[in-house]
Amino acid sequence: MRQRGRILSSSFESLGAVVADDVFPEVDLGLRRGQHIGRDDGPAYDFLSDALDHLEPFYRRFGAELVHKADGYFYLLPSGDRLSRRHLSSGEMLVGQVLALLYLDPSTLALGGLVTRELLLQRLSGLVGTEDLVKTLNPQRKKFDERIAAQTVRKQVGRALRKLTQLGFIEDAGDERLKLRPSLMRFTEPVRGLTDLSEAMERLVSLGEVLVPDSEDEDDDETAEEVTR
Amino acid sequence: MTEERQDPNTLIAALSRDQVNLSLETFHLCCLAGLYLRADRAALASFEEDLLVDLFEQVCDVVEPGAENPKKRATHAIQRLRDQHMLTRIDGAGVVHAGEYALTRLAAAVIEYFMADEALTRESLTLLTRTLLVQLSDVKGAASRATTVEDWKSNVIGPLRITVGDLIGGIERRQRGLDAAQEQVQEEIARLLVTDWFGAVDRSQDLLDETTATLRELNEVLLRDANQFLALLQEIQALAEDAGQLEAEEAVQRVVEQVDRIVAWGSARQRAWSNYYQYVHGYLRDVVRLDPDRALSQRLRDQISDWTVHPFHLAVASSDAIRLLRPVENRVEKPPVSRPRGLREQPLDEVGAEDLQAVLEDLVKAGLRNGAVTLSEVTGAVLEELPEPRRFGAAGRVAAVLSRLTRVRSERERGWVRVNTELEVEEWRLAPEGAHLE
Repeated sequence: MRQRGRILSSSFESLGAVVADDVFPEVDLGLRRGQHIGRDDGPAYDFLSDALDHLEPFYRRFGAELVHKADGYFYLLPSGDRLSRRHLSSGEMLVGQVLALLYLDPSTLALGGLVTRELLLQRLSGLVGTEDLVKTLNPQRKKFDERIAAQTVRKQVGRALRKLTQLGFIEDAGDERLKLRPSLMRFTEPVRGLTDLSEAMERLVSLGEVLVPDSEDEDDDETAEEVTR
Repeated sequence: MTEERQDPNTLIAALSRDQVNLSLETFHLCCLAGLYLRADRAALASFEEDLLVDLFEQVCDVVEPGAENPKKRATHAIQRLRDQHMLTRIDGAGVVHAGEYALTRLAAAVIEYFMADEALTRESLTLLTRTLLVQLSDVKGAASRATTVEDWKSNVIGPLRITVGDLIGGIERRQRGLDAAQEQVQEEIARLLVTDWFGAVDRSQDLLDETTATLRELNEVLLRDANQFLALLQEIQALAEDAGQLEAEEAVQRVVEQVDRIVAWGSARQRAWSNYYQYVHGYLRDVVRLDPDRALSQRLRDQISDWTVHPFHLAVASSDAIRLLRPVENRVEKPPVSRPRGLREQPLDEVGAEDLQAVLEDLVKAGLRNGAVTLSEVTGAVLEELPEPRRFGAAGRVAAVLSRLTRVRSERERGWVRVNTELEVEEWRLAPEGAHLE
């Protein structure tokens, strides 16, 4: 669902004008750090929408794709070795997917897209199961102690939420509440189309959108977080 | 509306001390609603006891059909409502004859809350603001004509506190009603989507648009009329200030604060609703319309459950922040660190012991032998022989040695005599030569 349509009425005459814009440095740095810039970001989103024509070829020279999703957000996807990239950790993936599910839930609408950490933990534990959750979030720990496990899960979820906030998937709304953003729909990409899951996954892997770990290092969380340059 | 502003802490402490509480069951609320409606329709200001009991029995039949002894329940309900300050006996006849009861202000407010649909509309707001403008103009006229304290109290302070206050209170009450209505709209949209996913899109959009339009209109009215309120209030305040009416100034100030509050409400609600509108609009467009069968949630749920078995990881850019190099500086050559050579402990010099007291005594004796007849002469002679740093300390000792070696005399009024440029002493005369003790 990559939107490659050209914006016919860009107000920028050249790439030089885009780079000279006051908004450019912040947007550029954000994109290079993996930030997802959505409609909620106001001027940054408007700037990207306006300058897309110039910025797509600009980032392609760095071996990266400036992706604009129909859901209303931008992100940079490096495919070559000129710009660094990383893959989300298991904790970030699980938390991100559950947040995406909450985003789709109509009951979240009544609160304007706000959810509590408590609700997130409830859903996470309900969908994945506490034991699997602990095993996934902390594969090194072999012994299962309920109190320590709960503590570990909360700690890892907190860490994942901080990372997802930095990446622009959510916003911290204070009071243990999280504001969900449309960029969470990225977590639904494999199941979004009507095609078979494995086919969709192959397509996403070929585009460099996702990494499917090999069977021998499936449990190795570090593999997923590895930074490639 | 209270006459004076109460300190919140004092008020809360008083409420706590008096153990104030309010506890009403559904049956009691239904009884109150029955009374309220009867009073409204029959234009009754109060109820005779028989009528009250009869009405309560009817309510009992409706709420709990088949309940035993409804008369007894009605009697209990009346007592309960009196305890809760909902009903008050107004006849004052005691046991002489059956009582007459009226609903209290509290009871009316409670029932109005449950019954009245007082959400703010453009019509109700316009009506209220127009009436308020007329009232404020009247108050301003009264303020300009007021000559006595009584004029100010009855024609300015009173209307400001009661009439104007009630009108603004009415706007605030309706604002709270609109808040509740907005909350209901939000719940309604969520409920519509749960029950009829794709079919609810148009209805949800209509609800969103209706509330947005209402809020925009209300805000326009508030912004337009609030300026006129404030202009009139400023004029009244200026008149009060000229007349030295502090109480009137305070009353105006209070109304100004209320007006500011209702204006702030308008802009805050519009901003909050705008965020909600954008969120829901995006949801309807990106989630509901693109997934008309609502299959995505289920597929995502399956994906999450299966994720630990078939994991995958999203890729994101992860460039480090740009490194800012430090400004270039000339390299400073630092001397190499080395250990000091040679002996760390230096050998000590042997010095013979010096008996300062003996030296001093010898010098004093020499001075006496040389014919000195006063303390200043001896001190001067001794100090000349001593090094500079020791002179001041030695001066006192010279006197002590002299007093031991010879007889000294002093005048009743002893004069100060300069010994050298830095020292003066109180003069003593010494005994003639040969009168020395030794």
